[in-house]
Amino acid sequence: MSLREVFDNNPDRRYIMFGGKGGLGKTTFSAATAYWLAKQGHKVLVFSVDPQASLSDIFKRDIFGKGPVEIMPNLYAQEIDADRRIREYQEEIRQKIRDMYGLDEMPEEIENYIQAAAAEPAMEESAIFDEVVDIVVGGEYDYYIYDLVPLGHALYYLSMASVYDEWIDKITKLRQEMDEYQQVAAVMQRSKESEEDQILRELQDIKYRINTSSSILTDKQKTAFFFVIIPEEMIILDTQKAASLFAKFDVPLLGYLVNRVIPPELASQNIPDYLVHRLEMQKDYLTKIDKVFGGQVMARIPEFERDITGLPMIERMAEAMFGGDA
Amino acid sequence: MTEEEKKAKFMDGVKSVLYGMAGHDMARYALKTRGSMEHLFILITMGDLLGIPILPPYYSLRLLPYVVPQISTWKRRMLREKDLTDALA
Repeated sequence: MSLREVFDNNPDRRYIMFGGKGGLGKTTFSAATAYWLAKQGHKVLVFSVDPQASLSDIFKRDIFGKGPVEIMPNLYAQEIDADRRIREYQEEIRQKIRDMYGLDEMPEEIENYIQAAAAEPAMEESAIFDEVVDIVVGGEYDYYIYDLVPLGHALYYLSMASVYDEWIDKITKLRQEMDEYQQVAAVMQRSKESEEDQILRELQDIKYRINTSSSILTDKQKTAFFFVIIPEEMIILDTQKAASLFAKFDVPLLGYLVNRVIPPELASQNIPDYLVHRLEMQKDYLTKIDKVFGGQVMARIPEFERDITGLPMIERMAEAMFGGDA
Repeated sequence: MTEEEKKAKFMDGVKSVLYGMAGHDMARYALKTRGSMEHLFILITMGDLLGIPILPPYYSLRLLPYVVPQISTWKRRMLREKDLTDALA
């Protein structure tokens, strides 16, 4: 099945993700897919969950931390500024504490905690994770294209969802039990209904947000996940390993896209030995890829003569991926 | 005072006595249990405050405003030394 058919036959798959090792072309494919879908008349948002995002580079526009930026009609791109989100979030917490207790200044202990928490290594990922929820819950776009982080991080991202989910489950249960005791006491003392537990409400909201995000990642009807690979031994091995790990998290893996394939027609031209060897090497690995990944290989994308940056190059890439006459 | 009001007042008194005899201890126990759970809850969510790192700080920050008043008593309770009289309390 070609990549184009995959999209044409499954219009419900609104969440498109490209994963793979760093530097293989995840951002390029994300941008080109977004471009193609936008040209088809769909409203598309391509966004990066990588703290070191490169959508700005590929579209040649500084979009970092600016929210969804219109690149061309129907095509929007967004890079999340995690640091700013964390700062705003901290300030939100401080404001809430000040409002709730009528304080002018934060108690030192609390302030220290807020600052220490923000320095945790998981904070950046969590902040991005949380913002993604806002993005997808908004539902303003026909397609959401996730320009994912490199493999290791993506796994962390996935496992974070399930760890969070369990954590929240446990403490929500504890909180509910506490609520029961509160009510028992209230009944005994014949007082009016006990106050609604705000923490419980807050926990349920957090749970909802985490579930929304993680259920998208594993939704077979709405989500399509593609691995980006190149014809090289290490990449093939690593991707096989990653694919089995992703399978454990129920990620709906649709197929593999082989990038950077040297055009075979070059072989018939007068080319230097260097290229002849590269071509031979790739031929071997392409055979191996077909053997290992079989019918799941969706497309072979040629190596271009220059970088894919700017819309004209993205258009050429989209043609290579989906065929012409978009 | 009408007959009705007298009766209501009397009944109220009876209820209070009954509550004192039977209910009060149970209510106290329920609240005490809840208090312990409250501290357990803060330990799970805000453990970092005692130097016990517990996942995940991004979301525990969201709960912080609600537990600000409990934090000082909680720290005292968690860090204080225990002795025999604790068992009697």
